[in-house]
Amino acid sequence: MVNLTIDDKQVTAPKNSTIYDAARINGIKIPILCHDKKLKPFGACRMCLVEVEQMRGRQVPACTTPITEGMIIRTSTPDIIKARKMVLELLLLNHPIDCPVCDKGGDCDLQNLTYEYKVNANRFSDEKFHHAIDYSNPLIERDMNRCVLCGKCARICDEIVSFGALTFISRGIETKIGCEFEGSLNCEFCGSCVSVCPVGSLLARPFKFKARFWALTNQKSVCGYCGTGCNLTLGVKDNKVLTTVYDENQGFHNGQLCCRGRFGYQFINSDKRLTTPLVRKNGTLTEASWDEALELVAARLKGAGSSAAALATPRLTNEELVLFKRLMETAGSANYDHSAGYAHAALTEGFAKSFGAAASPATILDIQKSDLLLVIKTDSYETHPVIGFEINMAVKNKGVKLNILSDKRGKLSKLPDAQTLVHTPGSEVAVINALAKTILDDKLAAGTAAAIPGYADLEKALAGFTPEAVAGQSGLSSDAIKRLARDYAAAEKALILFPIGNAYPGHNADLASAVANLALLTGKLGTEGSGVLCMAEKNNSQGAVDMGFYATRGLNAGQIMDGCASGAVKTLFVAGENPVVSYPNRAAISAALDKVEFLVVSDLFMTETAAMADVVLPACSFAEKEGTFTSVDRRVQHIKPAIGKIGQSRTDFEIFGQLIAKLGGQAPATPATVFGEIAASTPGYAGMSYASLGETGAFAQVAVTAAFVVPRTVAVEPAAGKLALVTGSALYHNGTQSQFGEGPMYVCPEGYVELSRTDAARLKIQENDLLNVASAIGSTKLKARITPRMPEGVLFSPYHFGAAGVNQVWGGAPVTWVTVTK
Amino acid sequence: MNPITPIINGLRITLEHLFKKPVTLQYPAERPKVAQRFRGLHALNVSHDKAKCVACYLCPTVCPAKCITVEAGEDANHDKYAARYEIDLLRCIFCGYCVEACPVDAVKMTGEFELANYHRSDFVYDKERLLEKK
Repeated sequence: MVNLTIDDKQVTAPKNSTIYDAARINGIKIPILCHDKKLKPFGACRMCLVEVEQMRGRQVPACTTPITEGMIIRTSTPDIIKARKMVLELLLLNHPIDCPVCDKGGDCDLQNLTYEYKVNANRFSDEKFHHAIDYSNPLIERDMNRCVLCGKCARICDEIVSFGALTFISRGIETKIGCEFEGSLNCEFCGSCVSVCPVGSLLARPFKFKARFWALTNQKSVCGYCGTGCNLTLGVKDNKVLTTVYDENQGFHNGQLCCRGRFGYQFINSDKRLTTPLVRKNGTLTEASWDEALELVAARLKGAGSSAAALATPRLTNEELVLFKRLMETAGSANYDHSAGYAHAALTEGFAKSFGAAASPATILDIQKSDLLLVIKTDSYETHPVIGFEINMAVKNKGVKLNILSDKRGKLSKLPDAQTLVHTPGSEVAVINALAKTILDDKLAAGTAAAIPGYADLEKALAGFTPEAVAGQSGLSSDAIKRLARDYAAAEKALILFPIGNAYPGHNADLASAVANLALLTGKLGTEGSGVLCMAEKNNSQGAVDMGFYATRGLNAGQIMDGCASGAVKTLFVAGENPVVSYPNRAAISAALDKVEFLVVSDLFMTETAAMADVVLPACSFAEKEGTFTSVDRRVQHIKPAIGKIGQSRTDFEIFGQLIAKLGGQAPATPATVFGEIAASTPGYAGMSYASLGETGAFAQVAVTAAFVVPRTVAVEPAAGKLALVTGSALYHNGTQSQFGEGPMYVCPEGYVELSRTDAARLKIQENDLLNVASAIGSTKLKARITPRMPEGVLFSPYHFGAAGVNQVWGGAPVTWVTVTK
Repeated sequence: MNPITPIINGLRITLEHLFKKPVTLQYPAERPKVAQRFRGLHALNVSHDKAKCVACYLCPTVCPAKCITVEAGEDANHDKYAARYEIDLLRCIFCGYCVEACPVDAVKMTGEFELANYHRSDFVYDKERLLEKK
């Protein structure tokens, strides 16, 4: 710590702090326009000028001057105030005084400082700028006339998002922030630039003119899309969520969000929300009372036993999942599952066997503390973008080495010194086995490895996985495999990351075991910066696993569908899930749901699945309920309602509770009671309470009991003349819910199929051509996107879109062989 | 004092008034002339054939009675305009803060005081009704 004096106050601050940081830590406010906690010091705005006695009273920018022992600093002498006033006058020289129409009015740093420093007149005069305003983009409006050239937008886009869409253009008085070739903004629309802009130069169009900042009520919450567990501040007015408000002090990510977190909130107050219960009468869904609908459901569930089954979305809160499970048990059925049951088998089966716990023994915070990151599938960026930002920062700021093993390239591959090994689809487990084999052969294994149960079996099983043997089937060179293995083993701290979820069928228990073996072999587990992070897809996927909402004694999701088709399952309760679109093989799913005698769906929207139901119950979104979500790294976070319930909708907690009561059971009154029960009975959650979670949440502990498990490898045989289709997640979407968020739909409104330039040239396909993609189980029409990231012979398609029908083609196999015609 | 004097004084005043112009207005045949600063019904000022209001939300913000509802819209030129401007006169206390807060001189208060009506809904003045009052 360094001792210094600021404004006659003796203070201390950590070494390497700037004067600005030291003042902030000690509660002394220095005005600034160009600084954000996450960004590197820049010193552009000159508002933070302070006097340092040791520098003969010269005025220096506080944000770029490091502190030294004994420094004597003054932050608000008359001279400094005079200087700051002049800075403001010079800024206001060109800045239009259009505060009444500027959306930033009331939340504008320049406006606030102008008021604070009483700049009521301007001694200077100049012409205002007349830059054309960029309205071309549906999410971000750019008005460079208001820009104060703080550079925060360009810096955040470069330093954290790593896209580099914005930059300084021209010099001197002509300087402005612009895009390449002064074109319009065409980026990934995470809105980070909008969030940090201190003035009204960059505005969120979905919020444009909706309300003034001061009229909003801010409610902290947790994002309801992916499993990263980003913290959100929802801006609420008139019972509507109008925007997400940036708060640089929020969450491990310091307020950073992705496109869907920032712009995907509209589904909460969408006009399409279901508002009343619906019951099928004479073939059509008609409005009904809650009593009528719940009576019908209860009558079907009463004593239904194993003829009843339940599927839930991992977007429900932990408390709701516990109650749903209890409802099924009251009905006498053990047939319940969420997508973790099969799409998240990496956790429930893989990690459960390898680590003795169905959770990742590493956290997101380990990313920046590691020496080497091994990312399986570059989609970790697309599935969990904010984790992608963490990886960016680790690589760029901390010099963490990045190795990627994937069936296609992605944005992470563009990071400095990133090594990407692009393997043939479906061969990832074999490649990881080959890495383990190399580690064994080169005697790079940790001394502790041999003592772990299953070591001998693994050694024997890996005999056939020499880098040379795997090289042939994976399309990689044996040298590349060896190099990757040696890199991983040599790193003092290494972290493996891989995403799982619906439409990631190859990311199963075997992949998890293969990855776990690698960490166990090298002893890179259980220490800071090391381990394995399995990134589950939805906001509470990990919670669903922790709550045991997957098949243990009863049928799993796939078997439930088979049961519906065969008649063994007569009543199916689907809560928030949309299997018609998100489960593989749509024809089979639709036929199964058609066949099931009684289908109950509780959802926010009339989804493809809800449209087939006998009873549809309007449910509440995350913004209307209370409970806890568990993120991929087992951070348990408490959410509270931000708005009142829409229409007659009820939370799933209420729905399940009322049904339990109707079945003769006793339902807990509040989510808090259930959370108390969770804390008492769930491993790792002991001692937790809403109060102890606070605003930042708490990590549930993971107790690892290591064992080597030999993963099964399935050889994926190439099919002559066919292309390999892999499915997954698009950056802008998460599950099928984001289809109801206007923001993501502006940017990515429909399904598509990505293919390489080589394949496109060979098949004479142009961008946006409508292609007929056909597999053994069906076909669909998708627009072509030609991208350099795809390897030859491989296609990629996101699964989120009901209309695109990718699951008409994809049947659940890790790789689907398809033919593509125009 | 002589007890008769006050009676005489009173009669004198009455007699004087018999020959003065009456102060009572024969309303509605005769209409009062209100003071310039009188705060009657609100009106929206017009400039270039459209309301001057830019929907800055300052009037609903300062309104102590919360009787003003503004919703902004975006016109074809991407400019901000008041897509909805409503004053609920049953709540309004005619304090005039809205006029003072307006940064673009878009709202004023007229001399109109005849605001009685039969239905509650008639007391809600929307943008069109406020624009009619010049």
